[in-house]
Amino acid sequence: MNPKVIVGSIIVIVFIIFGSYSFLESNVEYTDVSGAMRSQKKVQLKGSWNRDKEASFDPRTSQFTFYLIDESGKECKVVLEGAAPNNFEMATSVVAKGRFLEEGYFHATEVLTKCPSKYEADPEDVKRKV
Amino acid sequence: MIGGILVKLAFLTCLLSVACFYQTHRSGNTRYLKLGRAFFHATVISVLVIAATLLYLILTHQFQYTYVWSYSSRELSLPLLISTFYAGQEGSFMLWTLYTSLIGIFLMQYSSKKGYEPQVMSVYGLIELMLLLMLIVKNPFTFVWETWPGQVEAGFVPQNGRGLNPLLQNYWMVIHPQVLFTGFASMGVPYAYAVAAMMKRDYSNWIRPATPWIVYGATVLGTGIMMGGFWAYETLGWGGYWGWDPVENSSLVPWLFAIGSIHTILSQRKSGAFVRTNLMLAMLCFITVLYSTFLTRSGVLGDTSVHSFVDPGMWAYWLLIGIIILFVGLGFGLLVKRLREMPKVPPQHSYLSREFALFLGSATLVCAAIFVTVGTSSPIITEIIQGKTTAVDISYYVTTTLPLGIAIGLLTGLGQLLWWTRSDKRGFLRTLIWPVGLALFATAVIGFFGIESMVVALFVFGACFALLANIQVGWRIIKGNPKYAGGAIAHVGLAVMFLGFVGSGNYNDKQTISLVEGKSVDALGYTLTYVGYRPIDQEKYAFQVNVEKDGRNYHVAPIMYYSSYTEGLMRNPDIVNLITKDFYLAPLSLEQNGSKNRTSAQRLLLKKGESKTIADVEVTFVDFDFPVMEKAAMLEGKEVRIGAKLRIAEAGSKPVLITPFKIIDGGVSRDEMAAFEDRFEFTIVNMNPDREDRDNSRVELSVNDLSSTTQGQSGEGDVLVVEASVKPFINMVWSGVIILLVGFIVTIVRRTKEAALRNRNL
Repeated sequence: MNPKVIVGSIIVIVFIIFGSYSFLESNVEYTDVSGAMRSQKKVQLKGSWNRDKEASFDPRTSQFTFYLIDESGKECKVVLEGAAPNNFEMATSVVAKGRFLEEGYFHATEVLTKCPSKYEADPEDVKRKV
Repeated sequence: MIGGILVKLAFLTCLLSVACFYQTHRSGNTRYLKLGRAFFHATVISVLVIAATLLYLILTHQFQYTYVWSYSSRELSLPLLISTFYAGQEGSFMLWTLYTSLIGIFLMQYSSKKGYEPQVMSVYGLIELMLLLMLIVKNPFTFVWETWPGQVEAGFVPQNGRGLNPLLQNYWMVIHPQVLFTGFASMGVPYAYAVAAMMKRDYSNWIRPATPWIVYGATVLGTGIMMGGFWAYETLGWGGYWGWDPVENSSLVPWLFAIGSIHTILSQRKSGAFVRTNLMLAMLCFITVLYSTFLTRSGVLGDTSVHSFVDPGMWAYWLLIGIIILFVGLGFGLLVKRLREMPKVPPQHSYLSREFALFLGSATLVCAAIFVTVGTSSPIITEIIQGKTTAVDISYYVTTTLPLGIAIGLLTGLGQLLWWTRSDKRGFLRTLIWPVGLALFATAVIGFFGIESMVVALFVFGACFALLANIQVGWRIIKGNPKYAGGAIAHVGLAVMFLGFVGSGNYNDKQTISLVEGKSVDALGYTLTYVGYRPIDQEKYAFQVNVEKDGRNYHVAPIMYYSSYTEGLMRNPDIVNLITKDFYLAPLSLEQNGSKNRTSAQRLLLKKGESKTIADVEVTFVDFDFPVMEKAAMLEGKEVRIGAKLRIAEAGSKPVLITPFKIIDGGVSRDEMAAFEDRFEFTIVNMNPDREDRDNSRVELSVNDLSSTTQGQSGEGDVLVVEASVKPFINMVWSGVIILLVGFIVTIVRRTKEAALRNRNL
């Protein structure tokens, strides 16, 4: 066999293995509150924030705390490193990236917000007079 | 109405134009060619009229059109109003179609001179046709009553539009999407040329006329990507210029393919090899644009991005998939069909040749493009494999692309030092001494300041080597013939950019700081003092911070404001630009004095005339303070002050009248509290005036008991919480990109002239 082909194939295989390994390693699963509590790994916790409870930023620790409710209605305290994300107040659902700590709260490094309602208009909006 | 009809008309003429061009290709009859040109011109004119119509509707506030209502409003400034043209999906497809049409006019003339017109225009026309089909499905000329039939009565005209998302209200919105979509549109040209080459069975000559277009596409798309990065860095406050977000990735991938194909095409010009590779890469430039569009427009990415993706509806979803299948099927189908007859040129070069370095460089770029595509598609891949959507962490992109970056750096240097076909080993090693030696020295110096890991050190070495080798070679070329220096200049830019990545990423210092008004805080070697805020632009506030370093003073004013559109807090950072670094200040929040106590404050709901007791005082709500002139001001939309007159009575002393106010200005309200002695502060929370029965009017108050709070807290000013970071050598990223683009432009000039010259010789 042509040595070029062999060298080429080895390089390709190495890259495929390297790619798949990195992919699986950094793949972050979407889960709900009970799933996050079970998992030891970094997960993405999906839900909406509980507007009845306080969501506040503590300048001393630079952490933002809020309460998240998942689809099954289970609630969980989320502590985010940093301030509330830009669209937090209008978010219909949020995704918190991080892991559940033994101290009993979800420690998030990042919170993404989804705000579809504002982008998808409804006829009531049209009729509203400004 | 007229717009909708014109879209269909343009679709029809475009279809006829494609048919005529294709017929010319089949029969060689020039009568069809003239018809094809006429139909294409008609299509372009229709598209121009459609675009002008949409712009007219936006500028004249025709809110009965759902698209106009959804993205614009009367309050927007003219440039921003124009930019709402492409703020939504329908409009951005419109913009894409517009630029595809305009480029088509030039392409038609250009390809005609190169003897490629019927083939290129039938393929390029097909691209235009599919975009027009998309516009028929996602029509920006739908009336509100057509969007919500039965719910909005026919003929209803909303008074104002919903307005533009404040995140987009920025001058970058005016220019960035335009550049990006010009880049997307120009990527259609290499695809058209590759397919045309296979139609003509001309596998070697097509690269000459196609090269300037690929470099042009790469230049424009590269500019667009850089502008996006700068926008994110400078105003959105995402902390960096690149976040590996699906939207960013989706413009990076076609760019990487374009860069890859530029390099293998260069090889084909010299040796005739890489025929199939080049056809594939040129087609992938455009197919990845389509795939990116699918990823970011179809809603498949769902929750995995900071950008919000709207579900475009089932029709558009399947149409996007259909378009990808069409162009992949057409291009790759033809490639497979013609594979046997393509000339097989066995590579003549040794491993120690420029060709081989170019090939490896291109392979590395493609590899990076594949890794990024796989990462961006992770929600789809995992959905298929596990039945559960998951996304990769950002670290995935860094781990996979960093080793490739090292290879790119080394190859960028080696490629320039090697000769075509075969290099003399001895001579080559001798040319390596200086760049390698200096690069090692530079890496050691940079390593002295601390480098995270061995991989980063290698990356720095690769970049330094690329920089030195290209300066060395580039200098020789510039002395000889500067027109040929495009490659060397672009590579110098790349190397500078790579070093900028390391500087701004690896040495990035970050700290969250709470700044008490008027008190200086030392952080990251700077002294920060928050001096207060001032209103700008009606509802925005600029928070002024003095930054002092080594006796020099800088003023920064990051912005925060409450947006009624997003119903949330918007934040814009501010930056001190120094030559070697940026000092980046992103506001997080403002903790107003007393707000801490407000949570412990009491709420008081009072009807008119009602009295309630707090501690030992009796509070009575007398009436609203709302003079007639304020009513007039309200009707005119000016600032309005509404007060609640309160009578405070304490046992054994005379009752006092105090009035807290609520001030409403342009939809934003602020409070003016009223204090009773130094003991209580009253703020209006809610007002429920009852016009029918004035006695039924109610007010909700927040009462702050100052005597219960400690002296220290109430004595302090507001606290501004900021995230400060120092980004060293960030200017190298920007200047690197600009040098890179200058290199591209030099190359475009050279290759266009060459293509023209060859044409004359034929």
